[in-house]
Amino acid sequence: MDAKQLTAALAAIFMLSAATGHAQMTEAGDPSDFVEDLKRGEADTTEGADSDPWEGFNRKMFAVNKVIDDGFLVPSAKVYRAVTHKKQRKGLRNLLANARTPIILINDLLQGEFKRAGETASRFVVNTTIGFGGMGDPAERMGIPQHSEDFGQTLAVWGAPSGPYLFLPFFGPSSIRDGFGAAVDTAADPVIWLRTDAARYTRFSRAGATALALREPLIEPLADIEANSLDYYASLRSFYMQARKREIANGRTNFEDLPDIGDFDEFDEIE
Amino acid sequence: MLNTVGRILTRTVWAAVCASVFLLTSPVHADDSAEAFVQGILDEAEPILELDDQAAFFDGIEELVDKYVDMRRVGFFVLGQYARQMSDAQKEEYFPLFEKYATRIYQNTLSDYAGQKLNVTSSVDRSERDIIVNSKIANPVPGDPLADAVFHWRVYRNRDGEMFIFDAGANDVWLAIEQQSQFKSVIANNGGGETGIKALIDQLRDQVGG
Repeated sequence: MDAKQLTAALAAIFMLSAATGHAQMTEAGDPSDFVEDLKRGEADTTEGADSDPWEGFNRKMFAVNKVIDDGFLVPSAKVYRAVTHKKQRKGLRNLLANARTPIILINDLLQGEFKRAGETASRFVVNTTIGFGGMGDPAERMGIPQHSEDFGQTLAVWGAPSGPYLFLPFFGPSSIRDGFGAAVDTAADPVIWLRTDAARYTRFSRAGATALALREPLIEPLADIEANSLDYYASLRSFYMQARKREIANGRTNFEDLPDIGDFDEFDEIE
Repeated sequence: MLNTVGRILTRTVWAAVCASVFLLTSPVHADDSAEAFVQGILDEAEPILELDDQAAFFDGIEELVDKYVDMRRVGFFVLGQYARQMSDAQKEEYFPLFEKYATRIYQNTLSDYAGQKLNVTSSVDRSERDIIVNSKIANPVPGDPLADAVFHWRVYRNRDGEMFIFDAGANDVWLAIEQQSQFKSVIANNGGGETGIKALIDQLRDQVGG
């Protein structure tokens, strides 16, 4: 597939997204509800781990995403799984992870995590050289573990509040802070700014490859969560928020933040 | 006069600083009996996790869940603020359905760890009656993505000193917390109160086929 075909394919997906988005919005009510949803969100004083003042808007976006996921992404991921070997898929995941390493390094440094920055730099050097440009992950076997960082996490470390939970088609679960962080990370990528055919090809093929590489290992886990949940949207929101908290803390667990089991006397009374 | 007030303030600030330094440097308490309790369950689970026959595997997990998980307490917890709004008749309907639902989640989740052996590695007291016990896979195959995963068990100790499992999680993602998010959402989006709770019970019934 050349760059033009890829562009056409992506344009088709966006058109599909817009069309299904309109259908979903119409089904869910008046499209102008979007602004009302956001206004309602501002007035919502819900506190706690699952604070989601823009739930109405997010659920509509979730429905749009579901249509794209079921109709395009999952079937594509299944084809990708069928035509590739496990080792090839792992190689592609490694390659994409290695290409993201400079962004991780910048964010390690911005967070003052110098030991982790050293690990990131070492991983990049080792995997790019003896790891054949990043296809392999010899750094992992050498005891230099992989970790992820992004500008959303950096903002969190700097003390920025997460802001409302935000779900967007293609981008999935996020928050205002993390969404802004993702935009900054994207803008920091030189390939985004180059206006050559090669850069354009790299952009689209990398976006497509990333989507497949991320979705393929999640085919069964997400199907299981959906099958076992009463409210798939709320279920994913909770998993995302819990996992994100751990990422921001760089794995340093703080069990004090867990919600209390309940006031014991109160529970004993109820019983 | 001002000097005296200043001295008192300085002393108070110093006392506060010393107290916070002491609190920050105090070791987090571990709980040996909770660790032994969880290790006992993990030892009991080991032969079940090795079973190839799915029906036998599910039966074995169900037996463990019945024996060690405090379903009534979890059932209340996942309702959040709505726990108090449930009528007695609704409770009678809700708890058997919730138990089936939560057991199924344990069965499905643990089937991902078939053939594995878990060992307790540490514990943290949130309070005397709320303890987190951590465990890891005993002999991970090199490169296994689960090799570095930490599996948590939240242990509740009742007034009589008996211990039960309240929640289970992996890498800081907890099952009962996720269930609470769903249940509260279903109730709230169906009118809240007893009406919302009725909708939750109906959905639970559809889900577990009871």
